Amino acid sequence: MTLSQVLRQMMIKESGSNPNNDSSANLPDQDNQPPTLAHTLEEFKDCSDVTHESFPEHQVELIYFDQLVDKEKLSRHILSPLLTGTEQEVSKMLLHLQPFHTNSSKDLILNILAGGVGVFHGPNAFVFNVYSPENRSISQSETETVITGPHDAFTEQINTSLAMIRARLRSSHLKVIKLSVGEVSKTEVYLLYIKDIVNMRFVDEAKKRIEKIEVDAILDTNMIIQYMDDNKYSIFPQFLTSERPDAIVSKLVAGRVVGMVDGSPSAFTAPTSFFEFFSSSDDYYQRWILGSAIRLLRFIAFIITISFTAMYVSVTTFHYEMIPENLILTLTESRSRVPFPPLYEALLMEVTIELLREAGARLPTKIGQTIGIVGGIVIGQAAVQAGLTSNILIIAVASSAIASFVIPSYVMSASIRLIRFGLILLAGLFGNLGILFGITAIVIHLSSLTSLGSSYLNPVAPFEPKDWKDIFIRAPFSSLRARPTQSDSPNKVRNKTRR
Amino acid sequence: METSEKLSPFHTTIFIYMIQTGVMGLILPQLLAENFGTNGWITLFGFGILATLNILLIGVVYKLGQGKSIFRILEQSIPKFMLVPVYLALALVWALLGCMAGKEYILIFQMYAFPTTSPMEFNLILDILVFWLLTMGLYNIAKASTVFFWLIVWFVLLLFFFYADFSWSRMTPFLFKGGKLSLLESLDIYSSFVGYETILLMFAYTNQKTKLIKSAMLGNSITTLTYLYLALITFGVYSLEQLKSKAFPLLEMLAYIRFPFVERMENLLFGFILFTVLFSVVTYEWCALEMLKQVFPRLKVNFLAFMLMLSCFVIAYIPDTLNEVGDWLSTLSLIECGIAVGLPLVLIVVLLFQNIGSRPAHE
Repeated sequence: MTLSQVLRQMMIKESGSNPNNDSSANLPDQDNQPPTLAHTLEEFKDCSDVTHESFPEHQVELIYFDQLVDKEKLSRHILSPLLTGTEQEVSKMLLHLQPFHTNSSKDLILNILAGGVGVFHGPNAFVFNVYSPENRSISQSETETVITGPHDAFTEQINTSLAMIRARLRSSHLKVIKLSVGEVSKTEVYLLYIKDIVNMRFVDEAKKRIEKIEVDAILDTNMIIQYMDDNKYSIFPQFLTSERPDAIVSKLVAGRVVGMVDGSPSAFTAPTSFFEFFSSSDDYYQRWILGSAIRLLRFIAFIITISFTAMYVSVTTFHYEMIPENLILTLTESRSRVPFPPLYEALLMEVTIELLREAGARLPTKIGQTIGIVGGIVIGQAAVQAGLTSNILIIAVASSAIASFVIPSYVMSASIRLIRFGLILLAGLFGNLGILFGITAIVIHLSSLTSLGSSYLNPVAPFEPKDWKDIFIRAPFSSLRARPTQSDSPNKVRNKTRR
Repeated sequence: METSEKLSPFHTTIFIYMIQTGVMGLILPQLLAENFGTNGWITLFGFGILATLNILLIGVVYKLGQGKSIFRILEQSIPKFMLVPVYLALALVWALLGCMAGKEYILIFQMYAFPTTSPMEFNLILDILVFWLLTMGLYNIAKASTVFFWLIVWFVLLLFFFYADFSWSRMTPFLFKGGKLSLLESLDIYSSFVGYETILLMFAYTNQKTKLIKSAMLGNSITTLTYLYLALITFGVYSLEQLKSKAFPLLEMLAYIRFPFVERMENLLFGFILFTVLFSVVTYEWCALEMLKQVFPRLKVNFLAFMLMLSCFVIAYIPDTLNEVGDWLSTLSLIECGIAVGLPLVLIVVLLFQNIGSRPAHE
């Protein structure tokens, strides 16, 4: 493309769309032939983990993946009749398999890959699901710990996770749509919603976005939501993820759509708002005053995280007059040995803290603790004694790091920590005005964001004061009567308790 | 990302308030003292009512035109080639007004906190923010204004600090004594209310539910009340002569506020005024952009917005000092007051002709 063409594209509106966009329509349907043993074996050629067993006396051939199947079920339903049974018992077994007859080679192969046993008997092929992969047991979530309330968390096995939701929501209105994503991985993705509570617009939109994904493999929920994002360039997560079944169930009954990916212990919910990331499910398990105080504390933590170090840089670089007389002595004394401008000093400390955090997260718990202690000494005492930084900066950096961990969502907390660097830079360049420029940019960006097409700043903009009592505080249950406006639920009332 | 959603009454009210308020609010008490003397703050009621009448005039256009955009109204009766120069002239006035409002804010900030830094560095960032907002479309601009409103509304609480220094005796029992009324300066006072006239271009972004005119009037009332409260406190804290001699009495008042851990926060607090200034600037630039969109329909909106902001940035180099910017702003405000009254009148005349023309003939 020449420069003039590029400029033209930037300046002038397009008059029409390209009619030759859809190339997928011409693809031939290659795998829709009747299944044959030879073709199936050819498909699984060089797959050393595939098991192929022949029973010539019964003219039966089996193909399956040993590690994916429930051996006990396989043995009881298929292997035992073949190994020890009479001709009559084998016929009976084959008769039982009739409902699982398949005419499509593609279908057979996909089902074998999903933990089925392919059974060939003469020209007939059956595929019987005996899927039961190795699975870890249900344990606590390590990223979303709570003090009160249920402690169980989803596992990587989708059936276990779905069971945990079904066990909490015994309603036939809980609907589950099964989709498959990943041209190679064929990962199962489930969309959950409660009929008559959810606004189907959001379900359709989520389904449409998942169906549009054309990628080789999807490995985690946090990966699929990036394909579904409204704004892919944003630093902020546009879907709320959680590993906690109680949190996900609360989102379902609030009228949100939930998505789960096989192989991932997190589920996502949408539409979501920026403020929802500051709520935790145990806010509801405590007395409302305590829950409200903690929510407010989280918002204060947010302000501390983004502004403390930036304010230090701004004040010590440009606005010394803002420091009261009795404090300025302490500050100048602590800064007198530091040879760098406050901006470098702050960046140095912030990067060190981020290094410590990342190292702590990657290492096993015991070594992680050691790193914490060593790091604490390095940044706490040694850095000050060596004259690399001032004590007051350490307090600012440490408070903003601690405050960032108060935010319950790890993804949101990480985004906010990154934004902080931008604000520190702006504070070093333009002082207080720089910080305000930064905050303005953040707010402008947040205002333009949407989650599944719904405003990310709901209920502040659009202004929905009714919802504030479940966003900034956690009002008593008696006053939380309606579902959030953002869900746009056809069934608005959720709590009819009289007292 | 432009959305087809229409403005809601609440957003419109807040948006109008955010457009109207700005740096002028800080200069207002001094202008009132100079022009009207003792108890000059009372005249703000009059200015507020004048603005309300002007909004009602725009309301007549809205009603007669049944919510049609002013471009449709004009282009239905007047050939496009005749309108293009008018559009360009309006675009120029609005672009300059936005540009100068921004530069004035930057210069004041620079004067207080960064005497050695080039104001154009700050101006560049402000223009980038304005450009960013422009690319988001009016609905998102209004939505953002609501968020910024919440970020600045707590300023009202700061005035509690001055209750101790406030004295009714400074008000004196005299009304409008010691002032020297100048028409141009009273227009400057009125210019702190302008901004509401931009609703003329918002017709297409509203529907019946928006209650555009009512929302604009409510927004204007909030502005009037805010100015009144600010002016009342300032008149009660400073004497008349002090007020006359201070360029930014409110900023100096803010410098008195002190907490145990922080004091002299005037530059931080003045920084917060950025939020309202931003919306005054972005709305005028948006109006200019709307005009340019009509003149150059084939060009992409983002490209037009970029060119507009680039021109604004270059023009902002011309006036160097706060006084020069003040002179530009006075002249532009005068023209803007003319537009605020003249444009609705022209539109009413055009609409009346259109309505006569479309009336079925009686036989």
